Amino acid sequence: MATKILSVDDSRTIRLIVGKAFRPYNVTVLEAANGEEGLAIAAREKPDLVILDVTMPVMDGVTMLAKLKEDPELKAIPVIMLTAESGRDNVLQIARLGVRDYLVKPFKEDQLLEKVGRCVTLEKRPVVAPA
Amino acid sequence: MAGSPDINQFKELARRYGLAAVPESVSRLTQLVARQDSCVDEIVRVIEKDPTLSARLLRVANPRAADESEYTVGTVNEALMRNGIGCALLLAMGTPLSAALIKTFQTMLSLKLEPVDTHQLDSLVGAHMRCSIGFAGKVTGHVFLRMSFTTAKAIAAGILGLEPAEVTDKDEIRDAAGELLNIMTGNFKSNLCDAGLDCKLQPPKVGMTEDFETPVEPGGGLERLAFRAGPIEIFVDVTANPWDD
Repeated sequence: MATKILSVDDSRTIRLIVGKAFRPYNVTVLEAANGEEGLAIAAREKPDLVILDVTMPVMDGVTMLAKLKEDPELKAIPVIMLTAESGRDNVLQIARLGVRDYLVKPFKEDQLLEKVGRCVTLEKRPVVAPA
Repeated sequence: MAGSPDINQFKELARRYGLAAVPESVSRLTQLVARQDSCVDEIVRVIEKDPTLSARLLRVANPRAADESEYTVGTVNEALMRNGIGCALLLAMGTPLSAALIKTFQTMLSLKLEPVDTHQLDSLVGAHMRCSIGFAGKVTGHVFLRMSFTTAKAIAAGILGLEPAEVTDKDEIRDAAGELLNIMTGNFKSNLCDAGLDCKLQPPKVGMTEDFETPVEPGGGLERLAFRAGPIEIFVDVTANPWDD
């Protein structure tokens, strides 16, 4: 069964980069453009990991993280923050809520894969030989 | 001397997560400006210790000079006396913005973006892309990112790992330019907040404009930064407004 990763970011560019990074792996990438959409998808799909931005419209990443951690069915899902904000208060607040890791934008694809690989199994997709 | 529990915990988290810190001189300068009652001599000492900050301050203080030989304001002390402490704040804000832009190009586009003197680049003539983001709180102002549409397209392609010809969706180009500004301002906001200048970022705006001038409020300041990587040319304008309290 494919690993399910939920990417929550209001930037389509970042969601495209995340999707592209996991293309060689047996991973299904789910996408949400804000925390509210992210929570709904998390409740429905029970992803193996959430990659979460901080500043987003409608519901920001910190609020979504707090709500995930309050929900007995979702609180065990590991969360990696993927954000440009690395200010002291933000990092402390997020760490207290409980995150597995923190990746600051800009990032390299292999940094993302390394941090995700510490949380979930990343299996390479079998290479299909051309007919 | 031991730091507060929060600062120690943050240092531990920063180490664990691999978070980069802003240069000590910039952090110190932001803290001094944030206090608002700091003496100018103290600020002068911090700026003079950092040749890059000193050079930038003199450039801001001599906006019409083509090069150093035309400077009428020649010392850090004189620049601060003439232009006020807001000038030092602009320096503190520009450093993390500039570092984040250069790092983003290096990390996501494998391009070495070089800061250049604004006079070395031609002004953007005619329609060009302008991304802007406002910040409001203990300090207010705007950050503008300006580039030609061709540059914006090349950046979107680079970030997405595509050829420029493959990027045809204008929304995709706008989103990539907006995200570039988001990444830059996220770093910059962290530096301001850590120094006690709490502020919130407003949603970014991305659009085309023919106006290359950036408005400045009376008493406020503007620093224009310029960058180049081959044919890619980018301008960043930072404005800071005066505060009342």
